[in-house]
Amino acid sequence: MDFAWSDQQRELLDAVDRFASEQLRYDMIENDRNAVFNHDAWKKCGGFGIQGLPVSEEYGGLAQDPITTVAALERLGYGCKDNGLNFSINAHMWTAIIPLVYNGSEAQKKKYLPGLCDGSLIGGNAMSEPNSGSDAFSLATTAVRKGAKYILNGSKIFVTNGPIADVLLVFASTDKAKGAAGISAFLVEKGSPGLDLSHKIEKMGVRTSPMGEVFFEDCEVPEENRLGKEGAGSWMFTRSMTWERGCILAASVGTMQRLLETCIRYANERKQNGQSIGKFQQVATKIVDMKMRVESSRHMLYHCAWAAGRRKAVYLEAAMAKLQISESWVRCCEDAIQIHGGYGYMTEYEIERELRDAIGSKLYSGTSEVQRNIIASMLGL
Amino acid sequence: MKILVPFKSVPDPYAGAGAAAKSVINPFDEIAIEEALRIRERGEATEIVGVTIGAPAVDEQIRSALAMGVDRAIRIDDSRALDPYAISRILRTLVEREAPQVVLMGKQAVDDDSNQVGQMLAGLLGWPQATFVSKIEFLDNKTRAQCSRETDGGIEVIAISLPAIITTDLRLNEPRYVSLPGLMKARKKPIEVINCEQLGVNVHPLTTTLSVASPPRRTAGTRLESVEELVTRLKQEAKVL
Repeated sequence: MDFAWSDQQRELLDAVDRFASEQLRYDMIENDRNAVFNHDAWKKCGGFGIQGLPVSEEYGGLAQDPITTVAALERLGYGCKDNGLNFSINAHMWTAIIPLVYNGSEAQKKKYLPGLCDGSLIGGNAMSEPNSGSDAFSLATTAVRKGAKYILNGSKIFVTNGPIADVLLVFASTDKAKGAAGISAFLVEKGSPGLDLSHKIEKMGVRTSPMGEVFFEDCEVPEENRLGKEGAGSWMFTRSMTWERGCILAASVGTMQRLLETCIRYANERKQNGQSIGKFQQVATKIVDMKMRVESSRHMLYHCAWAAGRRKAVYLEAAMAKLQISESWVRCCEDAIQIHGGYGYMTEYEIERELRDAIGSKLYSGTSEVQRNIIASMLGL
Repeated sequence: MKILVPFKSVPDPYAGAGAAAKSVINPFDEIAIEEALRIRERGEATEIVGVTIGAPAVDEQIRSALAMGVDRAIRIDDSRALDPYAISRILRTLVEREAPQVVLMGKQAVDDDSNQVGQMLAGLLGWPQATFVSKIEFLDNKTRAQCSRETDGGIEVIAISLPAIITTDLRLNEPRYVSLPGLMKARKKPIEVINCEQLGVNVHPLTTTLSVASPPRRTAGTRLESVEELVTRLKQEAKVL
């Protein structure tokens, strides 16, 4: 693994640093309190080129390899405190754009990818259902072919970007008898007859990333909007899930780096009993452990992306990176609050929000328990 | 219409104190680049050529200009500390070679605040000039420009015939940020490197900078007990009363 960035990568990453710190700084306390999605920032990110990083140039992207892409997203997380926006962007990239890149027909790619890249379209992925979460393939939503259309019935829950989505990748069963092999994927556009995106869900963290329930009541989807073949949905989901696991927390590594720097600054400035609190071993140790967590998370992220860029199977690496980053992120936030004492618990200091934002990462894209199951199975257990 | 935008690389004026000074495009010149891009987007310009003078290190700022949307760039390879007159003479030669209808540049560079190159260049070329401009409109089939100038007494509106030199003030526009697609496109755009000898101009600085020093640091103040003490000390020590 080459640890040095090329001049071109360095130039690109510097540009992301500048963009995020100059263009994406805004009042997060109010936005978080009121659960406001920043549409303007989303469009800016699209215009700047974030959403299109891994997409080839012919569809409006920048054709960057996985490691450059995750490093760019890391910079986004470092410069932009809106973890909800970062989460929405990541969900959009890894659960909508990537499946389309790998499985879309030429016509589908031409129709959706340019808009999904430039920020004019918002994508999402509807898999989880009220009764199927970690056991995703037991889903109950059905799609029945009727002439040149499919009729979808059922409901989805925890759909990131659901309330604001222009196009959703929906998984539904076209053949119940076949179980997982009967699952198909559909690109469902906002405004489709029988589609209801209006149910927003309140949540603990990443509150600026809208999440919703989605209902299909005789929802009509044209046949040309089926992604891949009938029955290919579960395979497609597993494949894109590997990308999702490996990459969705790239921005969080940057967030952790920012928290680490905030804590170092505070530990040097804050004086108690006549010395900087950083001189107390118990504080220093917490910061050292934060540093260890950030670095190990970054290495696992980069290693996974590096291997994916060489077309190696990263099923194990992605699960390990996801588990490491999510658990490190939560611990970093807890430690950051502890280091800041009572101030860390106050909204104004913007650290308690980080903890609320971090906790979801142990749940989405496969819970920590699911990641451990994957790792165990890959170890032959 | 072709627009030539000369720009200078300066230490980042927004870098925090003590931070390693990164170089950036002089903010006033960045405004000139932005204005040239907007003029092209309005369909009034067909080509924007950027030019800067310096060692290969300024290529980074050249790439930023290309990434913003400048079509091609020229670097006059010269690492000497040139004064405004020398720079104006180099630019004159380049203007004669490139034959732009408009030279658009910052009113001054934020590092030395000379505020001379635009005016000297106009003088050397015998062209009209509009300085400190906060609004530009082209008139009469782009044979003239109407420019609003920011002066101490208010906004002065003047019309000048083209070709002309226009120098930009802060309020003309807010420059766009460099996007990643712009950065990728910039890699394919040409940068011509040429030195003064090849350009056929022989310049020597007429001014020598002897020293540059930071202003003296303020010493810490003293807390006084009473107004009486303040008055006494203002009279006896500061001698201002």
